[in-house]
Amino acid sequence: MSKIGLIIKREYTTRIRKKSFIVMTILGPLLFAGLLFGTIWITLNDQETYTVLISDPYGLVTEYRGEQDSTLVPRFPDQFKDNENVIYGFTEKTQKPEELKDGFYNIMIELDEITINDGKCNMYFDNFPSENIQGKLKNDLQESLERFRVVDSLKIDYEKYKRAKLDVSFAEININKLGEEDHTKERAVIGFVFAILIYMFIFMYGVQVMRGVLEEKTSRIVEVMVSSVRPFQLMMGKVVGIGLVGLTQFLIWVILSAVLATFGLNYFESHLVNGAAVLENGAVVANGMNQAAMAQSLMNNEAINWIFLINWPLMVGMFIFFFIGGFLLYASLFAAIGAAVDSDSDTQQFMLPVTLPLVFSYIVSAMLITNPESPIGNFFSIFPLTSPITIMVKTAIGNISVWHLISAMAALIVAFLFFIWLGAKIYRVGILSYGKKVSYKDLWKWIRQKN
Amino acid sequence: MKYAIQAEGINKSYGKYQALTNVSIDIPEGKIFGLLGPNGAGKTTFIRILNQIIEPDNGLIKFYGSPLQRSHVENIGYLPEERGLYKKMKVGEQCVYLAQMKGMKEKDALTELKMWFEKFEIQEWWDKKVEDLSKGMAQKIQFITTVVHKPKLLILDEPFSGFDPINAELIHNEMLRLRDEGTTIVLSTHDMGSVESLCDNIALINRSQVILSGSVAEVRDSFRTKTYTLKFEGTLLEFTIALGARFELMSNELNNGIHTVSVRIRSEFKLNDLLKQVIPVVDILSAEEKVPSMHDIFVQSVLSFNEAQA
Repeated sequence: MSKIGLIIKREYTTRIRKKSFIVMTILGPLLFAGLLFGTIWITLNDQETYTVLISDPYGLVTEYRGEQDSTLVPRFPDQFKDNENVIYGFTEKTQKPEELKDGFYNIMIELDEITINDGKCNMYFDNFPSENIQGKLKNDLQESLERFRVVDSLKIDYEKYKRAKLDVSFAEININKLGEEDHTKERAVIGFVFAILIYMFIFMYGVQVMRGVLEEKTSRIVEVMVSSVRPFQLMMGKVVGIGLVGLTQFLIWVILSAVLATFGLNYFESHLVNGAAVLENGAVVANGMNQAAMAQSLMNNEAINWIFLINWPLMVGMFIFFFIGGFLLYASLFAAIGAAVDSDSDTQQFMLPVTLPLVFSYIVSAMLITNPESPIGNFFSIFPLTSPITIMVKTAIGNISVWHLISAMAALIVAFLFFIWLGAKIYRVGILSYGKKVSYKDLWKWIRQKN
Repeated sequence: MKYAIQAEGINKSYGKYQALTNVSIDIPEGKIFGLLGPNGAGKTTFIRILNQIIEPDNGLIKFYGSPLQRSHVENIGYLPEERGLYKKMKVGEQCVYLAQMKGMKEKDALTELKMWFEKFEIQEWWDKKVEDLSKGMAQKIQFITTVVHKPKLLILDEPFSGFDPINAELIHNEMLRLRDEGTTIVLSTHDMGSVESLCDNIALINRSQVILSGSVAEVRDSFRTKTYTLKFEGTLLEFTIALGARFELMSNELNNGIHTVSVRIRSEFKLNDLLKQVIPVVDILSAEEKVPSMHDIFVQSVLSFNEAQA
């Protein structure tokens, strides 16, 4: 085996045998799945029960049960149905909010005379209710007030009104791809997931490269090593070896996640039947898109058809290319930092300029979800220090020219060759320099220095 | 004479700092060569150039007669002054890895290493992690990894630092044995005692230049001042009068009635001439030449060079 092959092998095997690697590799997907399903679980099982007092002195949503019976009941019995999380009570008096404390009710909603005009009312609470609960409350109030306005003021049959009512939504169709719906936002979210993966990978394993170089330097093994191999071989062996560790971990994650997702979805399928029942009960969140709804739409094949609108072969190809290219670029810089300093605590001053473009590209990628055609996104997806992350969102959205892709790839190749060269220059001098606090000026000197 | 290393006119600078100035050093084959000099004189730079860790700005280096090239690293064993091992690796694994880095096949490395581990009686360390070893233990491992691939040229930078006297003796004897088997050894050290007992030739580097070189015997010879230490009983006054103008009294000391004096003889005279003059007046107990130690030579050369520059 060649010497660089031996170096790669050592870097790889010592790392994948570490307990921390094995634990992270197995626990990673479990944690991720736990987080995801945990959130869904919590949303569906918001166990806290709220007692809600509707204070309605103007009788907007309530009426007496009968002529002799002065108990207040909802004007329209379809609304204000109690469920396991919400119990309603009604009063025609105005109540001081302070009296809520130590009383039976923990939320009071106060309807006044203009509520019927502007829909605004005060909600007094002791314990802020979840989106889900608020959704039910708003929904009940809205429908009830609407009915009141429609029936009492406009004298229209409510059923007729409901049929006349219309929600407008866009089917997004790109004129370059007529005949299909676009779903830009959803696709951008998928792209963003890939962007986060590359971002995490570069960060986690880039820092490992830096630590590895620093460890070789502080343990003083490095001088023995460079008396046998060229510094460049040692550096690249480490970068490639650690890169392969990352790819291994990633692959195992993909496989484990797929297995977990299969099991998890099977489990939730049965659970979501209950979830759907809750939704039908009227706990629908007014503005859509909460997790339960999203999970439900995921269960519905019709709804996720758009996922096949993404050019998956291109997506996977780009992912692998920018994953590797981005890692090589940043790992060289991290290796240079590890070589330049004497201890972990000294790395900070050089870390900032390296992590800044990474963080920016992350922010811009997130921004692309709401503003897919932003010019800054175009720039960030070509500029090689940010493209490995941002390009994933652009590719997922589609509508990206071949020239855009080619220039991004070419720029990345040029950049990683340049940064490997630059990193190697700093590395070569840095690994043999001890005891002196290094400044940017020193680094510049090292870059210009002959071997 | 055959040379393991012939370095001619080596210059090396780091920016404005001149680390080596026109350095020429010949290292004879099969000998132990002492590379001496104060801290920061340029020894490590020269050693790194021999190891091709850095390149000289100009100058030529021949390795056993042919220009130094990349493949020669496999014929060189290097123990740096700042040395270490991969802490998390197991001892045996690490030794095999470092031997492979020097071009050995895994199988050969295992056979050779087994031999060394038996010799140093450290077989039970094979599966230990390096971080569990004491400093002395790690030093032994480092020495083994430096010599396991049977290099023709062995470069040892302060090999005895950190060793207890027993282990230092072990390494000392191994060096002599390896030399006798034909290995050329470059020993860089501040320990003049080990230079006296081991080195056949030396070069002294000071402020980036070679200021002294040659065989230990030659160097010593050139520093002889024809000064003799005499011990006698009698009076100093009569002794001094007997010296006359041909001999110069450098120092004297009286202890329990015995005078110990050092006397320098002018070049055209001999010890016999001195004795002829003083025997009639005092009782001579002993007379011997004051031979300069390597320590004295080192200090004297460096100080006088620095004075001349200042």
